[in-house]
Amino acid sequence: MKHQLLRSTAIAVALAVGAAGAAFADSGKEYNLSVAAIAGPTDIYRIAAIEIAADLLEREYAVRGEIVHINIEGRPFTQWDEFRQAVTLAAEAGNAPNIVVASHVDIAPWAQSGLIVPAEDYVDLDAWPLNDIYPNLLEITSFQDQVWAIPQDAESRPFFFWKPHMKAIGYSDADLDGLAERIRSGDYTLENMLVDARKMIDAGLVEENRGFWPRPSKGPDYWMFYMAFGGEMEDGNGRLLLDKTSMAEFYQFFVDAVELGVIGKNHIGTPWDQWHGALTSGQVGMWQGGTWQFAEWTGKYGMDFFANATFSLVPGGGDNGRANTLTQPLVYLITDQDDEEIMGIAGELITIASEPRINALHAVNSAHLGISKAEETVGLYAGDRWIREATPVLLPFASAQPNNIFFGQYFEVMFSGLQAAWTGQKTVEEAIADVETELKAALGDNIVIK
Amino acid sequence: MGNSKHLGLFLLAPAGIFVILFFLAPVVLTGVFGFTNMSTATGITGGSYMVSESAMRPLRSRFGEDALADQLSKRIYTIDEEGLQAAAEAGGDAAALTELRSNFFNESFGNRREVETAIKSLNARPSTTRGIKIISAQFVKSVINVRFDTFEELLTSIADFGIELSDDQIEALADVTYTGWTFTLQNFKTMVELPDTRKTLINTLFYVFTTLILFNTGFALVLSISTHYMPTGPAGFFRSIWLLPRVTPPVLYVLMWKWLAWDTGFLSVILEPMGFAPRNWMLDSPTNAWVFIILINGIVGASMGMLIFSSAIKAIPASLFHASEVDGATRRQQIWHIILPQLRWPILFITIYQTLSLLTSFEYILLATDGGPGGATEVWALSTYLKALQNYGGALQYGYGAALSLVLVVIGISVSLIYLKLFDFKNLTAPPKIE
Repeated sequence: MKHQLLRSTAIAVALAVGAAGAAFADSGKEYNLSVAAIAGPTDIYRIAAIEIAADLLEREYAVRGEIVHINIEGRPFTQWDEFRQAVTLAAEAGNAPNIVVASHVDIAPWAQSGLIVPAEDYVDLDAWPLNDIYPNLLEITSFQDQVWAIPQDAESRPFFFWKPHMKAIGYSDADLDGLAERIRSGDYTLENMLVDARKMIDAGLVEENRGFWPRPSKGPDYWMFYMAFGGEMEDGNGRLLLDKTSMAEFYQFFVDAVELGVIGKNHIGTPWDQWHGALTSGQVGMWQGGTWQFAEWTGKYGMDFFANATFSLVPGGGDNGRANTLTQPLVYLITDQDDEEIMGIAGELITIASEPRINALHAVNSAHLGISKAEETVGLYAGDRWIREATPVLLPFASAQPNNIFFGQYFEVMFSGLQAAWTGQKTVEEAIADVETELKAALGDNIVIK
Repeated sequence: MGNSKHLGLFLLAPAGIFVILFFLAPVVLTGVFGFTNMSTATGITGGSYMVSESAMRPLRSRFGEDALADQLSKRIYTIDEEGLQAAAEAGGDAAALTELRSNFFNESFGNRREVETAIKSLNARPSTTRGIKIISAQFVKSVINVRFDTFEELLTSIADFGIELSDDQIEALADVTYTGWTFTLQNFKTMVELPDTRKTLINTLFYVFTTLILFNTGFALVLSISTHYMPTGPAGFFRSIWLLPRVTPPVLYVLMWKWLAWDTGFLSVILEPMGFAPRNWMLDSPTNAWVFIILINGIVGASMGMLIFSSAIKAIPASLFHASEVDGATRRQQIWHIILPQLRWPILFITIYQTLSLLTSFEYILLATDGGPGGATEVWALSTYLKALQNYGGALQYGYGAALSLVLVVIGISVSLIYLKLFDFKNLTAPPKIE
């Protein structure tokens, strides 16, 4: 008995020493990667997904017989301006984060300046799970015929109606159920919406200037109203496009809405919490928001969403209008580094992070839409009523802002023109004339004006 | 002790280094950047050379080189000896390369994904994406979308594909393929052409001089003179009250103004029973916005002038006041004939200092109206900040922003020179005649 004990102890000790020795001899390669992302409290999985991916990748290497250690350092930001300044300046100083989660509109300027490398050089787009990503999302992450990024999430900016008020002005439940389809087909337009909003005010359901509330601050949402009147942002050959007629109709729509008393002339600048508070408590008839705001409305503001609200695309308007919505996917980007191996690891990490089950964690946690078809079948994702219902109504009809290095300037000019007309600083004609002059002066040949 | 005359310089050296690093260098760099087209897209540290779709567009439209653009835009991947060797050197899997040679030697593909499909069809295909990528990267036979650090490398690469270039073509190519920034006067041309530039300039002058005359100098004078005639206790109390906005954090200070002004705020609540519909009083009209902006800035700005003027009045010999009272002078005459002439120097100082500070300050406007409604309160400094450091689409225009701030520097210096002339600076600083 004693001998046996001694022998087994000796064997155990020998094994332990051997194992330790082996571990010492091959402690494996170590990779340190940093991930910078816009990541508020609900967006933690933008970075955590990479950490999960690192764990899986280490195991894949181990199964193949290679020991690697991947350390992930997260750099979360909450403000876009601060985030962009930090990433670009760090890159200029030679210590860019290895992986960046940014907006797809960052692709063009960052690709041009050499800050990022094409993701397609480091990932296999023809293999799982990237071959299952919605094709229109991969289209959005392409620039000059190359795929520069992998979609990290998707969202959409729908139109909402407060159901009790709609019923009070004569809509039945069946009417409301069919409203989204009427909007999609062009049967219900922005002009109809203004009439209904005025009815709500006249009926005393909501106060003056609270018939229709779009986003209260600058944002890509306003391009949807340009598109609603038939406008296009690019000409199809990679050049920006200003359609003066559509832009004028879009500005005129907001001027009309102010004259009708449906919306205030100084709506832009309304504090966000006041905006959320009013529309989640029935003080606003119709509004335009973002799919991800569902989490805030039902959580922080305690809104019973499905009992009180219905949603649709943004209605079309004018003669050439079309119902539409906009998605601004955030994307995983790989930055240019001296070490090819690190960039390769980054590619493998963002591939794994795009696995449906991992991406669903972010989608459901932050009320974003998923990135791939298979994700719709993941229990967590399929079990979420909001995402399940919103995805098919919105995502197939979603367009995105173009990836163009001059788009940021176009955006600012469009928005300052809108604000000037909306607040009555300029007439629509003056605003459009100034927008045209400004775009010609700032962008020259890089924009087509029609 | 022989070195003592250098001691001062030596002691000041650290401060000098800081001044150069943190004050002089940024100003000089801003001056230089103002003459460039620097932006997020060009980067700051310099560019490289790349044949891309957007580079080919001006090659066609500006230089009429359609044929060359077509040639350069072609994408070819060929499995050849050179590529196989390079792949082996880069660490490509040996077995896969042998098989690739036997199955696909001399075959060409239209893009990299097709090459990778070929690699994946091999029995000895690498098991990782990285393994595949290492090999597929080596067979590119085109220049499109490849980044070259120098123009010579790009030219060598183009020559390798058998494309011959004329001198004109080389020049055109150097122009369109460079991704970095270049020196240009375009910023200043754009500035002159833009319709909003003049409006921003008028806004700036209005903001600076109204705030300055009404508050930073005018109201500061009123405060200091009226407290001068008060008993010491209450005078100190009033002065400290006017210092409170100065010591309140700007974000909180502006937030209180917003609470006062917005449509569920204090003003709306008070005015509603009088028949005024609730509204956002601050953003309701440009006039409202200006009233708030000037109040917000003026109430903070008056405190500094008040302190300086009060202490200057204290320094006036009391005998002057006593003598004037014996002569039967009124308060108004005292102010006009004693106080104001003695305050000429402090008034000059405050006017210059506050003009420069108002010209460059935009934080209260940014927090309060962000230039609204509809750009009505956008001043030059705010416009500079927005162009250079804030863009919703991420396209920051460093060059244009720097050019804008350069104009601000020129305005600041010119205004200061005008003041010195107006206040007769030479006479103010002349040695006293009596001593």
